[in-house]
Amino acid sequence: MSTGTLNAPVISAWTAISPFGHDRSSFADGVRTRTSPVSTLDPERWSRGPGETACTVPGFEPRAILGSKGTRAMNRVSGLAVVAAKHLLADIGVEPGDERDDIGFVLGTTTGSVQSMMDLTRASLTGDKPDHVEPAAVPGCVMNCAAGQAAIWHGLKGPNATIAAGRTTGPHAFNYARRLLRTGRATRVLCGAAEEYSPARAWVEHHRRGGPDPVVIGEGCAMFLLEPAELRPPGRRVLGTLEGFESRVCLDGDLAGTVAVAVRALLSAAGVAPEQVWAATGSGFTDSRGEPVETVALRQLFGDAAVDRVPSADLLGDTASASAMFQLAAVLSVAESAGRSGADHTVVTTCDDDGSVACTLLRLGEPVG
Amino acid sequence: MSEQSTTPGRRVVITGCGVVSSLGTGIEEFTAALRAGRSNVRPISVFDTTGFEHNNGCEVIGFEPERWIHNVEIDSLGRASRFSTAAARLAVADSGIDLDVLRDARCLLSVGTTDGESHELDSMVSLEIAGGPEAMSPRLARRTSAGRLATSIAHELRLSNVEVGSIATACSAGNYAIGHSFDAIRLGEADFALCGGADAVCRKTFTSFYRLRSIAPDFCRPFDKNRMGILTGEGAGILMLESLDSALARGARIYGEVLGYGLSCDAHHPVAPHQGGIARCMELALENAGVKPAEVDLISAHGTGTHANDKTEAAAIRELFGEDTPRVVSMKSMLGHSMGAASALAAIGCSVAITEGFIPPTINHIETDPECAVDCVPNVSIEADLRIVQNNGWAFGGNNSVVLIGRYDGPREAVA
Repeated sequence: MSTGTLNAPVISAWTAISPFGHDRSSFADGVRTRTSPVSTLDPERWSRGPGETACTVPGFEPRAILGSKGTRAMNRVSGLAVVAAKHLLADIGVEPGDERDDIGFVLGTTTGSVQSMMDLTRASLTGDKPDHVEPAAVPGCVMNCAAGQAAIWHGLKGPNATIAAGRTTGPHAFNYARRLLRTGRATRVLCGAAEEYSPARAWVEHHRRGGPDPVVIGEGCAMFLLEPAELRPPGRRVLGTLEGFESRVCLDGDLAGTVAVAVRALLSAAGVAPEQVWAATGSGFTDSRGEPVETVALRQLFGDAAVDRVPSADLLGDTASASAMFQLAAVLSVAESAGRSGADHTVVTTCDDDGSVACTLLRLGEPVG
Repeated sequence: MSEQSTTPGRRVVITGCGVVSSLGTGIEEFTAALRAGRSNVRPISVFDTTGFEHNNGCEVIGFEPERWIHNVEIDSLGRASRFSTAAARLAVADSGIDLDVLRDARCLLSVGTTDGESHELDSMVSLEIAGGPEAMSPRLARRTSAGRLATSIAHELRLSNVEVGSIATACSAGNYAIGHSFDAIRLGEADFALCGGADAVCRKTFTSFYRLRSIAPDFCRPFDKNRMGILTGEGAGILMLESLDSALARGARIYGEVLGYGLSCDAHHPVAPHQGGIARCMELALENAGVKPAEVDLISAHGTGTHANDKTEAAAIRELFGEDTPRVVSMKSMLGHSMGAASALAAIGCSVAITEGFIPPTINHIETDPECAVDCVPNVSIEADLRIVQNNGWAFGGNNSVVLIGRYDGPREAVA
């Protein structure tokens, strides 16, 4: 389905708190230098997970970053979302304490904080009485905890939504945000996705995938400002225009084929030829045989040069629902200073082993310098 | 305030309802139970409630997933996905749309949820306690992604050309999904939408509400002076939405028209309701639907039966509707609180209330709390000619959503 260029919103600011560091520039540097942020997990900090390494956000504890007020029971995924939103709001000049009921907030997740949820159940099962659980921990056990916390911290009273679509969450969240703008339900939208590292998440993911070797789990939050092009204030550059969204569910087991079908439909609806695509990138999905199915499909459609321009966000480990958001952030990081000789579009694809496939088409803004 | 105003677009109607609930499976059983003012309260059996002083809930009893789910291995689905998938099957059957038509169209599958597959996560914790984290089950682990509540529907119905995802905005998520689908169809970005909500009873959520002293010891008594809280429930409500033109062209039975909806966020407290936030949400919904407060014939309240919710909600309604306050009922008195399914099941209840001409009662009601000064249609349903019904949903995280549903009287008497 084409979103049409009419009313197409633009991305005009973004931020990332990631294993590369707490801000956009550390993320962009990490991507451009293709640095590996994998580190050994500190056994003093983390209970035992299936693997000894992960891609965690360095030095990140919600209390340390946000102070002690209101953070006693804040889980990690909420902290990541609150901090990302704080940075992005500062970047766009929304002052702390401003109550903004026209700013929408759309956040992607796989299933909230699995750690918080499982901890509460464990406390119920192992405590003296089954209701001897920490009341302050209750809000963190609901999947919209992070989006709700971000709203409270920053006074965001507009539409507030949490989107869960596995690894394909990124494009779906963007599309949800785009509809909020197109229908006038929000004037601007902060749209991102957040995942936390936790032993619980690592164990669930390890069992979900099967196999002897645990996958390296990544965490963080990438977040973008979406706004109608005409409302963009002077001085805020267009980084990309959201020109299309497409999605499919693979029914025949051929995920690469389904990615190809979706991407062709995406280009066709927007009237964009493959030659106009500067970077075509997957989000690091590999199927049960280790095959990078998105990359296989994209190489056939766009050739190697377009596929290899931007490193895969799996540099950050498995960031699940946030992977496509990080992938788009990686594209913007590289595109910022790259000459593009006429090809000014980017395609970001994503797929999940539940068969879901989604992709986003962006027309990139002018590079700087 | 943002203007969630009506923009030109296609009119959107409800043409199918799929129900899996503690009151029964399928729209007929559900409607009959709402009309009769029944509930199916019983001790929870899905998990071991030993040690809790009270343990009543509203479970789906006698659910046979194999009756509805044919193309997906049932063992691969968590409890909530079984509900959502079965309810989607029922909604398609109820709509009379041929599956081949859906397969050739662009569809949106949007399922609201509070807990996703938390029941499966609970089971993983039990395995971990017994045998360490290595003992967790891969089979259960593969069920846990919340997105599967929606993608399972695509696999069951063999729909590939779909936009598909779950909306995890807790207890108002059903209304979110309906609203999102309304926009997609109105804008011409989807031909059909299967939307609503699903959740399964689980230890995590029961314990959470219990610890917050929000679980009623016996029954759920919304707006009653002696209300004691919620009863946790479960199930799924899935609605088929399509454009009015599409429905008319195929001669569909139309339950009602989605007139509009509103979204607001309290940005106030993680779990407490906020009068200003929910009042603003109702205003936005009315404005989006182009409906004046005095035109609303019935409010289907969020009506959880907790002290805080009912008082706050009644006050917000009074503030906005004043002398024009219509009857305000809580279907949770019958269904319990089915979490992400709640506002979807209530929207289906609103739809049949319109088509069948009755108001579902608020049961278990003895004495109305003066702080909840609304006519909640105590205990016995009444016949009523309903033209516009408002369906409220609030949630943890301050995620508010209100949907307006109108009667469709045929092409000559357009509602909107």
